[in-house]
Amino acid sequence: MLESLVSLESMSLSSMDVSVLERLKWLQQQQQQQQQQQQQQVLSSTNASPELLQFHGTNNDELLQNTFSHFQMLRSGFGPNYSMGFGPSHEPMDGCISRTNSCQMDQADTVGVMLKNSEENIAFSLKSKRKSEVKTRAEEKTEKKIKVEAETESNMKVKSNLSNTEASSETSKQTSKGASEIQKLDYIHVRARRGQATDRHSLAERARREKISKKMKYLQDLVPGCNKVTGRAGMLDEIINYVQSLQRQVEFLSMKLAVLNPELELAMEDLSVKQFQAYFTNLPVLVASKPSLMVDAPLFPLDQQGSLDLSVINPNQATSIEAPSASWETQSQSLYNTSSLGFQY
Amino acid sequence: MAFAENHINTDVPEKDVFALHFLQTLSNLSTQNPFSSPDKKSDRVKKIKKAAYVSMARAAGCTDRLWSRALLQRAAKRNNKIVRFPRRRKRVTWLRRRSNRRDPVEEAAAERLRNLVPGGGEMKTSKLMEETAHYIKCLSMQVKVMQCLVDGLSPK
Repeated sequence: MLESLVSLESMSLSSMDVSVLERLKWLQQQQQQQQQQQQQQVLSSTNASPELLQFHGTNNDELLQNTFSHFQMLRSGFGPNYSMGFGPSHEPMDGCISRTNSCQMDQADTVGVMLKNSEENIAFSLKSKRKSEVKTRAEEKTEKKIKVEAETESNMKVKSNLSNTEASSETSKQTSKGASEIQKLDYIHVRARRGQATDRHSLAERARREKISKKMKYLQDLVPGCNKVTGRAGMLDEIINYVQSLQRQVEFLSMKLAVLNPELELAMEDLSVKQFQAYFTNLPVLVASKPSLMVDAPLFPLDQQGSLDLSVINPNQATSIEAPSASWETQSQSLYNTSSLGFQY
Repeated sequence: MAFAENHINTDVPEKDVFALHFLQTLSNLSTQNPFSSPDKKSDRVKKIKKAAYVSMARAAGCTDRLWSRALLQRAAKRNNKIVRFPRRRKRVTWLRRRSNRRDPVEEAAAERLRNLVPGGGEMKTSKLMEETAHYIKCLSMQVKVMQCLVDGLSPK
């Protein structure tokens, strides 16, 4: 029995070494079943031994048979030492009672040992089970690690392939597809179409160009007269011209304000900053109601339909400026034209 | 300066914000040294121009945009000089190396735009476009405000 147990355990250990989890579990289950069976057997034998003690005065033969059977049972378990010890006890039939008693005591002891052993076995089996579980977990972890490592290795391999392809820049379709997929994971908006280079620099350059073109489109909507121009360089030129014109307008208007300084100073004297602030804090409602109109219309009464009386400032340019300023753009454009014509104070 | 990649946000404050800032700076100017003092016309023009730019930068939000920050820094540095935006090259080799691969005409145009937009010398091209969009919006606002002021003050 024990040998079988040991063998089973060894088997289980060996199977653990094999580390096939399902098989191990199955084996453990089988082992548990077998152990339970063995325990039951042992318990039956131990249950039988007090009966033997009770009956050993009446039926020696039965007792001897039982004991012999027990001895046989035990001999198979405990090897030659016990058999050597119990060997001579069968021959003298007279002094069998004491001997059988002793034998039975021994037997009981042995049964106790057996039980202990079985308990130990159970304990050991539990331990081994736990160990095996731990081991299996560890093995699972290691397997996972191995898998992860394998994945990373595969990724690295793919990356190395990618780098190789980058280096060589001659890619077969599959590798380029894989590379593009990986690049998609990294940069979603970048796409390499057929025939386009897939190396890192050109992809980054393409992403940059896409970004710039997006913003150029936005600028194109912003700058008037930029829709007609095709080509990015022309668009940029148009944008530059517009910015320059705006800057010149600012310059020109600051010139005008410098010329108009007495009025400006008067206005400043009339209205302090606090009044301005109060005025402008009240304004947004007005602006919300009439966004097209200038906000400080009551402050500086504008005649938008009327001509700008700039003849006082420069009678030469009055004709160009006197155009009715219906919209700000046209007005500022006309002003810009005047400024570009060499308008000097 | 984090923007969504698909959305370009160049919101500009209302016109009255620009007007308020401009009038404030003008009043500060007039209180510091009044216009009636015997001053050269060109100096006055420069002062008003600077006031216009600085007020525009302030109205746009001093720290939100690169161009406004650069403009205000420059204005603070050269307190008595005109606001200029020279090209500041930090990564010359980097730019040269890159520009070899790109369209030279486009690059030249971008360079010119960099000279125009304050603080453009340190921007990359995509950032430059964004800043230019905002700058254009603010400039047009400022022009409108100044135009209104001029129209209001001009004698009838």
